[in-house]
Amino acid sequence: MILFRWHAVASWTWDAQDETCGICRMAFDGCCPDCKLPGDDCPLIWGACNHAFHLHCILKWVNSQTPQAHCPMCRREWQFKG
Amino acid sequence: MSLPNKRTISNTSNTNHTSSMKKAKSQTVACSVDSAKNGLHHDFNNTNNPDNDVVFDPSSLSLDEDLKTDDSRAPAAANLGRKKAQPPQPAKKLVIKLVKGKPTLPSNFEEDTWAKLKSAIKAIFLKQPDSCDLEKLYQAVNDLCLHKMGGNLYQRIEKECEAHISAALQSLVGQSPDLVVFLSLVERCWQDLCDQMLMIRGIALYLDRTYVKQTPNVRSLWDMGLQLFRKYLSSYSEVEHKTVTGLLRMIERERLGEAVDRTLLNHLLKMFTALGIYTESFEKPFLECTSEFYAAEGMKYMQQSDVPDYLKHVEIRLHEEHERCVLYLDVSTRKPLIATAERQLLERHISAILDKGFTMLMDGHRTEDLQRMYVLFLRVNALESLRQALASYIRRTGHGIVMDEEKDKDMVSSLLEFKASLDTIWEESFYKNEGFCNTIKDAFEHLINLRQNRPAELIAKFLDEKLRAGNKGTSEEELEGTLDKVLVLFRFIQGKDVFEAFYKKDLAKRLLLGKSASIDAEKSMISKLKTECGSQFTNKLEGMFKDIELSKEINESFKQSSQARTKLPSGIEMSVHVLTTGYWPTYPPMDVRLPHELNVYQDIFKEFYLSKYSGRRLMWQNSLGHCVLKAEFPKGKKELAVSLFQTVVLMLFNDAQKLSFQDIRDATGIEDKELRRTLQSLACGKVRVLQKLPKGREVEDDDSFVFNEGFTAPLYRIKVNAIPDEGNSGGEHKHYRESIPGPSISGSPPLLHVDAAIVRIMKTRKVLSHTLLITELFQQLKFPIKPADLKKRIESLIDREYLERDKNNPQIYNYLA
Repeated sequence: MILFRWHAVASWTWDAQDETCGICRMAFDGCCPDCKLPGDDCPLIWGACNHAFHLHCILKWVNSQTPQAHCPMCRREWQFKG
Repeated sequence: MSLPNKRTISNTSNTNHTSSMKKAKSQTVACSVDSAKNGLHHDFNNTNNPDNDVVFDPSSLSLDEDLKTDDSRAPAAANLGRKKAQPPQPAKKLVIKLVKGKPTLPSNFEEDTWAKLKSAIKAIFLKQPDSCDLEKLYQAVNDLCLHKMGGNLYQRIEKECEAHISAALQSLVGQSPDLVVFLSLVERCWQDLCDQMLMIRGIALYLDRTYVKQTPNVRSLWDMGLQLFRKYLSSYSEVEHKTVTGLLRMIERERLGEAVDRTLLNHLLKMFTALGIYTESFEKPFLECTSEFYAAEGMKYMQQSDVPDYLKHVEIRLHEEHERCVLYLDVSTRKPLIATAERQLLERHISAILDKGFTMLMDGHRTEDLQRMYVLFLRVNALESLRQALASYIRRTGHGIVMDEEKDKDMVSSLLEFKASLDTIWEESFYKNEGFCNTIKDAFEHLINLRQNRPAELIAKFLDEKLRAGNKGTSEEELEGTLDKVLVLFRFIQGKDVFEAFYKKDLAKRLLLGKSASIDAEKSMISKLKTECGSQFTNKLEGMFKDIELSKEINESFKQSSQARTKLPSGIEMSVHVLTTGYWPTYPPMDVRLPHELNVYQDIFKEFYLSKYSGRRLMWQNSLGHCVLKAEFPKGKKELAVSLFQTVVLMLFNDAQKLSFQDIRDATGIEDKELRRTLQSLACGKVRVLQKLPKGREVEDDDSFVFNEGFTAPLYRIKVNAIPDEGNSGGEHKHYRESIPGPSISGSPPLLHVDAAIVRIMKTRKVLSHTLLITELFQQLKFPIKPADLKKRIESLIDREYLERDKNNPQIYNYLA
């Protein structure tokens, strides 16, 4: 009895510490209020402080905070991770 | 006859006259006076001597010609001709001088002339030849009129006519009891009168043209004749009555299928019309008679014959009545007559017809009869009844289809068939009436939603069957057609979310197991749903397709990756579908202890994936995995298509001959229930790769299993079917229902809708009691949901601080901004 072909199935979710986005309070597995579809269309982004938000949410926040934006969670200066 | 002679005279005189007239225009007035005077003089002389050969007024040339062609019996036509030919009278400029003394009439002139006329009239009435020339008679009347004796003459003629007409009608009294004979006598009498009156009028044309015209309240000779006939007809009421009865009797006979003399009918009815008593004396009793006749016939036929025959009969009857109007009845009778027949034959029986025959016709797809019914009902404005009958028919029939749980399997195809047949009937029999179309739609909407979510589920299932591979024999066009038809049913579904959930589940299965018949067909279905319900509805379904495509790319690059090439043990061809959690149905996580080898594969893939996509978590959905095994049985090599769980179990038997249920459970770590089903599929299904000891359908705790050494199968590739969850589709249905209130991160659509609706209502109302909130929710939410579920959602919103309970009254909610 030899296994020689295998179709496996896996599902992915965001790997964030919190369940929900700190800005819109929506689940990370859901999407930000502006999007209709979760997943690749509404990705998460991590800051240098390791806090994650919906990309769309944090971009809105960062763009509204000039000259320097801070992480909404820890008030450290916001830097995109990586 | 003196015709040729006279013609020459008048001709010459005419040419003279006209030439002189022409001259008159160019010459002096005196000259024209002369010639005109001559003409007049000539004329005058003639009147003085009625005994002379007839010499005509020069202007009567055309009359002469008419007389010649039409014979002297057609004075009516001559009359017309004469009128046209009257020359312009140059009277204004004439001066007439009387040369001699005024000529006097002979004293017996009037009496003599009348005597001549009288004998002629008598002869006409008695149909005897008269010695006197008609031409002379005409001239006689002419003379009398010119001498202003017209009034007297008229009265005398009237008296004469009256005597004869009265006598003629009296002669009919007590005549033949046979109605047809009697009727022809009446017709004869009438025809004679017409002929005679025409003749008399011809002779006395001049009287008609002058005296009658100039004197008010005097009837023309023709009308006078008619009036007299009418007068005596009604005074001898027996004659009139007998005539009318005879006519009615004859028409009735014709209705009963006898051949009757239609010309006779036609003539007599023309007589009534001419006498102006058609409506009063004939039409009224005729309509009454018709009404009675058809009332009786309608009753009788409704009892005797079935509906299609009855309708055919009605159609024929209406056609006959129409013919009747064309052939002998007066035009004005058509409308009331047809209306009467329609009322008696149709209107009174509408509900009986529908009760008795509509279902039968519909069941038998008798488009022709239904069309007939439609057309006939349209005539009596009874379409509304027909429409209602249609509505209740659809509901009744559809109820049978939808509510019969034993026929759930065929429900969708039956409904499709039913709808198709209704559409054909609608097109062919109901002339695509818009109201009927709506009726069909409404009735279907009602039907489909009779059983909450079940039809939605079955429609999804039906689509699954159609879109699944192995559906041989259907071309792409056919498939497209079927999809379109199913979509029509889909439109009627109120719980579209329910449909989506089921459709998604089936679609997931098709995509993951590669069982889809054609990706094109799948995509076309998605785009159909998109046009129907908007992109919101299909976003996630489309996302599933994206995942499948993306997975292919990932697998490709995985194969090329350094991890795969360096670390992967060879032997197993692995491909992975990576699903985005939110798009796919939620699958309950299932534990399984995989063989070490497989764990290595999974870890390597995971490492590869996470290196490619950071910030993600990968979870293996082992319950969805499936494998192909190569197995060497003593009686031959086989390829087995099995699920991952089945694989895990079977692999155990590579190292052991006999394993107990407990052993397998400990070794695989598969959850108890799931394991039982897996073992059942391997040892108790169609394909028995394992043998269970002792034998039996259910897997018990003490059972043990051995590898089936004697396994044979006709085919090389074998699929080992899994035992479906709960054993039937009803279970899946239940499962879905239970999943509604459960906490699910991805949020199945109904939950989000419910939450959104609650917040929306509370945001506008700020403060609301529990009951009112629930009521409003039921109005807003289009899909079925239990109050208990709503309560849970409210609780959840309170937890999330969207709402709070009022501190004084826990039945009241406050909205928290």
